[in-house]
Amino acid sequence: MQFEPSAEGRVSAHFELVEVGLLRLATSQLVELLEAADAPTPGTAADPALKRLLPDAYLDDPGAAAEFRRFTAGDLLDRKVLNAKVVLATLGEEPLDPISDEPDEALLHDAPDDAPLAIVLDPPDVQSWLRTLTDLRLTLAERLEIGPDGRPQREDEETPFLRDVYEWFGMVQESLVYAIDV
Amino acid sequence: MPKTVERPDLQEAVSLDRPWITIVWDDPVNLMSYVAYVFRSYFGVTAEEAERLMLQVHNTGRAVVATGNREAMERHVEAMHGYGLWATLTRADS
Repeated sequence: MQFEPSAEGRVSAHFELVEVGLLRLATSQLVELLEAADAPTPGTAADPALKRLLPDAYLDDPGAAAEFRRFTAGDLLDRKVLNAKVVLATLGEEPLDPISDEPDEALLHDAPDDAPLAIVLDPPDVQSWLRTLTDLRLTLAERLEIGPDGRPQREDEETPFLRDVYEWFGMVQESLVYAIDV
Repeated sequence: MPKTVERPDLQEAVSLDRPWITIVWDDPVNLMSYVAYVFRSYFGVTAEEAERLMLQVHNTGRAVVATGNREAMERHVEAMHGYGLWATLTRADS
C-alpha cells in the first residue's frame, strides 16, 4: 500500500484484500458509533471517543461550549458519517460469498482472490479518506488509552493487534498526504 | 460641541476591540504531516508557515492559528473539529 499521484489530481494505491477488509470493518464500526451518537445531544455520551471527536470549543465557559455543541455537533456528525460512507464506497462491493452461487468459471480462473485491489481516489474522496482515517485513529487511540507520549497505556491481549491497526492507518494517511502534496 | 466620551463608553470601545483567537492544541494522535497539511490547505498559509505553526503546537502544546471576531473563530473551530484537530476559541487576552 503506497499512494501515488495519478492523472487529473487523482491518487491511487494497491491494497491487499486483507487490508481492504480491515479498513471496511473499522470504517463500518465507526459509522455505527457515529450514528448511535446522535441522541439526545451529540457528543455528551459517556464514550470518551465521541468526546474526542466532538471536543468542547470553549475550555473555560461550559455554557458557551454547550451552545456551540447544540449548533454544530449534528452537522459535524453527519459529515463524519458521510466521509466514512465515501471511504466504504471507494473500497468497492463486499466480496461475494463463494458458496452462495454457482461459481463462475471465468471468474475463478481470471481473478485469483488474493490479487491486490487498485483504489483510485479523486480529490473529494481524498478529503473524506483523510478525515475518516483521523476519526478512526482518534477512536482507536481512546480504546488503546494512548498517553501524552503517544504510547498505549492499555496492556491486554488485544493491544498488539489494535496498535498495529492504529499505526497502519497512520501510514495510509501519511502516504495520502505526501501523494497530494499541495 | 461634542461631549467628551465618558469612562463606561471608553471601556465598551476597548472591549469591542478585543479580538477572539482560535487555538489548536497538541494531541498525541494526529500526525505532524497531517496537521501541517490542514494548516496550509484550510488557512491557505505557505508550507513554511504551516510547518512553523505545527511545530509550535508540537513543541509548546498549542498555537494561535487565527485572530478575528467570534463568529469567524467559531467557524474555524468547527472546521478544525471536522479535520479531527483539537481546537478551541477564547478572548485574545484571557
